[in-house]
Amino acid sequence: MSIPAKNALISLLITAAIIASVVFAIRYLDQQRVAQLNELQTELATDTLSIETQFALLEEAPCEALTEGNTLSREVTSLGERLSFTENRLGSDDAQVIQLKKQYTLLEIRDYLLTKRLTEACDVDSKVALYFYSNTPGTCEDCDRASYALGYLHNANPSLRIYSFDYNLDLGALATLIAVEKVEPRFPAFVIDGERIYGFESVDDFKTYFPKNFFATSTATTTEE
Amino acid sequence: MEFIVYPFLFIALYFEVFILLTFLSRPARERRERIPNGATPTVAMIVPCWNEEATIVENVTSLLALDYPEDKLSIVAVNDGSTDSTGEILDRHFANHPRVAVIHQENGGKHAALNTGIAHAEHAEFVGCLDADSFVESDALREVIPCFDRPEVAAATVAMSVHNPRNLLELMQNVEYILGIALRHVLSAVNGIYVTPGPFSLYRRDIVQKVGGFRFGHQTEDMEMALRLQREGYWIENAVRARVYTKVPPTLSGLITQRTRWTSGFLRNVAFDYRELVGNPKYGVLGLLVLPLGFLAILGGVLLFVTLAVSKTQDFVRAYMMHNGIPLSYVIDNALSFDWFYLPVSVFALVGIVALVGIVLFIVIGKTVSRTPAKLLSGMIAYGLVYRFLALIWLTRSLKDVAFGTHRPWR
Repeated sequence: MSIPAKNALISLLITAAIIASVVFAIRYLDQQRVAQLNELQTELATDTLSIETQFALLEEAPCEALTEGNTLSREVTSLGERLSFTENRLGSDDAQVIQLKKQYTLLEIRDYLLTKRLTEACDVDSKVALYFYSNTPGTCEDCDRASYALGYLHNANPSLRIYSFDYNLDLGALATLIAVEKVEPRFPAFVIDGERIYGFESVDDFKTYFPKNFFATSTATTTEE
Repeated sequence: MEFIVYPFLFIALYFEVFILLTFLSRPARERRERIPNGATPTVAMIVPCWNEEATIVENVTSLLALDYPEDKLSIVAVNDGSTDSTGEILDRHFANHPRVAVIHQENGGKHAALNTGIAHAEHAEFVGCLDADSFVESDALREVIPCFDRPEVAAATVAMSVHNPRNLLELMQNVEYILGIALRHVLSAVNGIYVTPGPFSLYRRDIVQKVGGFRFGHQTEDMEMALRLQREGYWIENAVRARVYTKVPPTLSGLITQRTRWTSGFLRNVAFDYRELVGNPKYGVLGLLVLPLGFLAILGGVLLFVTLAVSKTQDFVRAYMMHNGIPLSYVIDNALSFDWFYLPVSVFALVGIVALVGIVLFIVIGKTVSRTPAKLLSGMIAYGLVYRFLALIWLTRSLKDVAFGTHRPWR
């Protein structure tokens, strides 16, 4: 075989090997992401259970003992963001993603219920927003915008607790929550203080569903009189 | 959308690997080890000039300074109907020079000027063509002559870089020329060269005459000649340490004009006049790899840009909609915060990085093997960031010209 022919053949093998290595590296990275999500989810499940147990044990205890709640909510939010990124990469029909989403949704519902109990028992000044989205193509043009805006609003006032749910996820607990909150399949959908809101126009519009000065600390352009 | 460019990316990577392997193979190593052998056959250097008053004296002077026996080297300057003072300058400086012949003729194009020079240099075994805006190192000719140690070698190319690059556009072109040094060196080892560039190439005079001399060649007479020599079964070699410096267009409009001429010339020559070479195993690496990939590079360049432009415009619109109404500080904080989890790796990005590393490697190889003195960092950065996008202008323009049969003036 001539040198150019030999080089052409070896080049083909090397190129295929490079592409295979790249694909393998990306798959490995995605698996690492899933593994990290699993780990984080397990930790959070334990934390949630711990707080629930603590709450049950110390029903009469001062609420200061339950400050862990804030940290837990932050971690739930962080887990949600990572899960959303992973879902975008692997696809919403990926079996691992669906399983993680189900676990995450259960975690969110438990955290939501715990937050409600803490808010009532300890008179905590926080707001809760339930956010329902849909991944079905063509059913929610504004969901990406709404998700990003909610992230910003949570950042502006961390006492705003946001719980995001994939409306179409096949999970009994979620179906019950949807039924209890009477949420219709119109997206994006929100439940804030028991009020159901459909659609997302702008951040400023969305802010009107909260008390007037709820996000005041983040808006440096406004001056209190 | 990215999937459209995957085949092009695969082919680009494959070509890079092939070039690297060939660079490491014995034929290329032997060419790098080739040294001047002391042979000094008769050579006539032909300088076709049309309105070259700014550079013609320096050009001919650099030829006279070549380290070569005076009785073996002559220079033929052909003033091809210049409308500036090129003719008077040539007469004033060289009319009475014993080794320089000055010929004036009506404007007939570069190929006609070259043929006039070749006909005049009847006693020379070799004829060299040097563009009037190029300058040779004194040892260049001695480096080229050993390329003709086999009778089937009809022509030899050299290592071209940019003469005194100043602005960013010239620095980018210098990087491209040095990349070209590496490619030509490697392709010469497998007879894959498809152009014998005008700035300086040396030919066996009898073979050039046997194949019919230079032709118009769609304004790329150097490419047409190389393809004709290849079709006739000759070899085109490369002397990687024979350095020549050429002036390049200092403005974008000049560069676009030049590159449109080159690219449309390539398309017309290869697609119409020499299409029997494309995909033909008889022509080895040239027919099976270089020419088909040349086409794909032009199409892929346009496709890659269009794909990226559409994809990035969609991203921009989406990002604008998402960020609308949200303070910039939050957006920037979010964008700047690093977390490996969110690293946007994809096959496209990673293979692109590997291909980019390959290009940088070839630029370093080109500079090193040719021993070209050049500072490349700023040019390389600009080349990576800007040049590909500029190339789209002349690639698109050339495709349009060929499709619609448009012909443009030389300058």
